Amino acid sequence: MAENSGTDPAVERSAEENAATSGTIIMVTVKTPKDKEEIAISEDASVSQFKEEISKRFKAKQDQLVLIFAGKILKDGDTLSQHGIKDGLTVHLVIKTAQKATGASSSAGSSTSGTSQVNSGTANTASPGPAVNLGTSQGSGPSPATSQPASLFTGFGDLSSLANLGMGSANFMELQQQMQRQLMSNPEMLSQIMENPLVQNMMSNPDLMRQMIMANPQMQQLMERNPEISHMLNNPELMRQTMELARNPAMMQEMMRNQDRALSNLESIPGGYNALRRMYTDIQEPMFSAAREQFGNNPFSALGVNADSPGAQPSRTENREPLPNPWGPPDTTSAATGTTTTSSTSSTTPSVSNPLGISSSSLGNGIFNSPGMQSLMQQISENPQLMQNMLSAPYMRSMMQSLAQNPEVASQVRSSPAAGTNPAQQQLMQQMLQMFAGGSASSQTPEVRFQQQLEQLSAMGFINREANLQALIATGGDINAAIERLLGSQPS
Amino acid sequence: MSRSYGVKVPRNFRLLEELEEGQKGVGDGTVSWGLEDDDDMTLTRWRGMIIGPPRTIYENRMYSLRVECGPRYPETPPFVRFVTKINLNGVHNSSGVVDTRAVSALAKWQNSYSIRVVLQELRRLMMCKENMKLPQPPEGQIYTN
Repeated sequence: MAENSGTDPAVERSAEENAATSGTIIMVTVKTPKDKEEIAISEDASVSQFKEEISKRFKAKQDQLVLIFAGKILKDGDTLSQHGIKDGLTVHLVIKTAQKATGASSSAGSSTSGTSQVNSGTANTASPGPAVNLGTSQGSGPSPATSQPASLFTGFGDLSSLANLGMGSANFMELQQQMQRQLMSNPEMLSQIMENPLVQNMMSNPDLMRQMIMANPQMQQLMERNPEISHMLNNPELMRQTMELARNPAMMQEMMRNQDRALSNLESIPGGYNALRRMYTDIQEPMFSAAREQFGNNPFSALGVNADSPGAQPSRTENREPLPNPWGPPDTTSAATGTTTTSSTSSTTPSVSNPLGISSSSLGNGIFNSPGMQSLMQQISENPQLMQNMLSAPYMRSMMQSLAQNPEVASQVRSSPAAGTNPAQQQLMQQMLQMFAGGSASSQTPEVRFQQQLEQLSAMGFINREANLQALIATGGDINAAIERLLGSQPS
Repeated sequence: MSRSYGVKVPRNFRLLEELEEGQKGVGDGTVSWGLEDDDDMTLTRWRGMIIGPPRTIYENRMYSLRVECGPRYPETPPFVRFVTKINLNGVHNSSGVVDTRAVSALAKWQNSYSIRVVLQELRRLMMCKENMKLPQPPEGQIYTN
């Protein structure tokens, strides 16, 4: 063991093992965030020799090792003594795993895209249930083949956004999506849904519709990009017209046909084709892709929007799919008639008069019956918090408002078969109505609110004011239903 | 290393102590520090190394820093700047200089603090929600000024 000119007394203390290389052996501690090992190495060894030892001990490849001493990275060509590494000192080790930093950033990226997808899901559901791209039935009795992930739920107010609000259920979202998928696979349901008076009533409230539509962040984006859309939404006349359309299937069909014809005429105008195409690209596509992420087809194809005069408005949406064959099996995208613009069987082309492309077949009372809906209800009843959250969503509130204002609707909601099949659901419905009523009725007591109804009831001969009031509260002001309740509870 | 009785330890003694600790690997092994130049008798210029914390975007990266302990150290905090490029709140994007106000150990410096404390604090900052996902420049880039 040669004497070093070194100044370190520790060297003499070092263990005299069989040194393959000349120079004293020193014990260096190698520390990883998890581990610690003592390694014997020759004092004048090079860093790469040191790494060799380390790789044996730590079972890692040499090029995965990064050594740090006193704040500096040890390069392979250096020697230990160059860095002042002496006996008893500690060197830090980092074992680089195969994944690179870019892996980390891509995971960060994917998490953001994950959230944005969720948001788009939310957004899509946000669009008013009845409104917007629901499958068209373009005159086809048979329901649209590929129904759109209906926006039905959107009616239910962005349930998925509620999920985002931290209701904490991925479940919720999934549920939503399931519902949508079911709807998609069952076109008949869509038509049923449309027939549901509840939905029709909802749709007759333009404010509600507008609110719902606007609540959809994607819509908002789209609106920013295309002001025409917001104009359309803000035009009550147009909205009303659209609602009418939605409610009246026959009228809707007629409208569709007219529009299609108009569009095809448009195409034959020189330059018209380009205009149409532009419209499509500007409007339809973003919606397409936005919705597609979530639904896999194009629920928003209808959202093309347009103002009144064709040709002049770039916001006309063009849909290049063939007119559905009313006598044949529903067919979505066969490009049979090439140039004719038609609405796909499952989407409603926005037409001049039907900007939202509301399809009459897309709604229906099947909504309540869908298994998805039922499980949703179930979930809700199990988790009151969910209910709370759901109700606090803004458009939910306005929907409730429309429900409240229209007692018939309310009674329908309550008595609708789906609501009735499951006692929990029924209860839920009642709760909903009550909560709604409780939440919105501002400062009026039930008595004041139901003043008119109470008078009517007493005029009819129901003298028990208390009972009347109870009944009215339970039915949310619906006289007929209240009467039934009262009669039901009386012995005669 | 902290002294009680308010005894003021001379600067060099303190720094020598820190040097020894850096060489012995005191701490959890996630930060390392030492003299930039072994012949630096004034013990002013130091080098630090922070190992990027796992499960953050800084994972698997090693960040090299320069720490300068002025003549009034440890009464005054050291100057810290990153050598390896990093995107972290509190670090100037163009120079790598660490903003004294952004790091609580620097902003509320006490003479019992040390280079290790500062480095560990910076590492903790990397684990904060607001920082842990910041996109980072490609590995290996350094600040040139």
